[in-house]
Amino acid sequence: MKEILSIRGLSKSYKNIQAIQNLNLNISEGQAYGILGPNGSGKTTTLSIVTGIIRQDEGSFIWFGETPNANQRKSIGSLIETPHFYPYLNLEKNLKIICDIKGISYGDINRVLETARLEEREKSRFSTLSLGMKQRLGIAAALLGDPRVLVLDEPTNGLDPEGIAEVREVVIEQVEKGKTLILASHILSEVEKICTHVAILKKGKLLANGPVKELLAEEEIIEISCMNNELLKQKLEASNLVKEVETENGLIVVTLSEKVLPEDINAFAFSNELVIHHMLSRKQSLESQFLELVKEE
Amino acid sequence: MKRLLHIEQIKLLNYNPFRITLSLYFIAFALGLLIYPAVDKEIPVISLSDLFRFPDVWVFLTWVTEPYNTLLALIIIMITTKEFSNHTFKTQLVFGLSRTDLLLQKLLSIVVLSFFATLLLGLTSLTLGLIYSYKLTFKIAMENTWLLGRYLMAAFSYMSFGLLIALLIKNTAMSLLTFLALRVFVDPVLFLILRKYEVKWYLPFRTTTRLTPVPDLIEIFQRKMNNTESFDETTLDIIPKGLPAWLNILMVLLYTGLAIFFSYRLMQRRRFI
Repeated sequence: MKEILSIRGLSKSYKNIQAIQNLNLNISEGQAYGILGPNGSGKTTTLSIVTGIIRQDEGSFIWFGETPNANQRKSIGSLIETPHFYPYLNLEKNLKIICDIKGISYGDINRVLETARLEEREKSRFSTLSLGMKQRLGIAAALLGDPRVLVLDEPTNGLDPEGIAEVREVVIEQVEKGKTLILASHILSEVEKICTHVAILKKGKLLANGPVKELLAEEEIIEISCMNNELLKQKLEASNLVKEVETENGLIVVTLSEKVLPEDINAFAFSNELVIHHMLSRKQSLESQFLELVKEE
Repeated sequence: MKRLLHIEQIKLLNYNPFRITLSLYFIAFALGLLIYPAVDKEIPVISLSDLFRFPDVWVFLTWVTEPYNTLLALIIIMITTKEFSNHTFKTQLVFGLSRTDLLLQKLLSIVVLSFFATLLLGLTSLTLGLIYSYKLTFKIAMENTWLLGRYLMAAFSYMSFGLLIALLIKNTAMSLLTFLALRVFVDPVLFLILRKYEVKWYLPFRTTTRLTPVPDLIEIFQRKMNNTESFDETTLDIIPKGLPAWLNILMVLLYTGLAIFFSYRLMQRRRFI
């Protein structure tokens, strides 16, 4: 697979705050790479460096196998934090400026405005847009000229649920078209829904990276209770249906083995003449896994 | 280049403060045209219309309109600091302009405004000269037109200095105040303090204002009294005091070059978050 972005030993500090430390990352063509981390973990700093807004203290990065230059950025559609445009210009004129910068024709403006569902606001000033619309315009601008790579920093920040869904739809569409995506987010479910790969950052350090499926594997946990919890616990421990069985506040907490469904447990108990009267899925949320991962030093 | 200029054109022509300030500049010129002849009738013996004759009109108008350059510098400060407060330098950078492009954009605006100002002055002087001159020959009319070149240089220099201050301070109000303070207060005070020393002629604003020299009014009116239509070129001592013309021009070039150099350095180093 062709390498799109390669980051080597990148470090940046602001006065006495170390924003990122010795960051290494490789992103290949067609990957949807999520950069996941809590606020202040260095996501925006990383993306700001690779999009040329700020300079790194140490380390280097390479786009498309070449040393970084302004021209490359024309084939990268970026949205870093909140989008900033000329408040007194209408959407069309703002996008014309971006077209001029990228050296493409104005013909693409209608397409991206439609994609971002802003076609009716074409002649409105940027300053009259709602926060969600501004965010969508940022994405529209990033899509201008159909770039190979999209770099989006918290694209759903500040949007209402409907807006979040719309933006995600647009982004997923682009990923399905085979574009490479680099998405920074602090929302785990977002990365899970959109990305194929993920890098987890904390305090500027890379904690883990790899395919989403491996890194954020899901475990299903259920709590159950029957007339004889002790017996059921013993029976379950002896079976190969579960990974772990514990007792908690008079309930049995079971971590299911792979491909085992809660109904299998119910059937198993029933076949052992134990009737389950309480069963609740406690699906360990990815969010808590993520938090656990980030908690570890 | 063309692309950068087009971007600036979209930005500026739709920006109200820019349109208003430029209109003010235009109105200042137009008012000058109307007011000077009107004032004329109030003053006995001498007539201001004498100043509007070729070739004196070139000297007089470049001198009179020289302070308007401050307005042009304020425009540059305004449009540059706005890019900071709107975070649009960042946007342009992200979408593929280089930091050098960002500086070039502003320098192109400066060049265009300099030519616009010079053209306006040229047309005004030409119009007044044609109206008020008794005797018109091509040679007399074109005498002193080289002052337009100096005016162009002065406008460019002022605006470059404005650009440097804008990039240094970033805040619109603070930059405007700093520029005005330097122009209106610091420069004259320093000139007074240094009045005994030759170095006073080397002050940056002093060299720029001296590009467009004070016309020798007494000489012009004496010439009128004596009714000498043809004038003696040697009496038109355009820079009576201070640095020799060539050194003055050299100093302006040096200061302008330094302003652009430091603007470039600042542009390369600024963090546009």
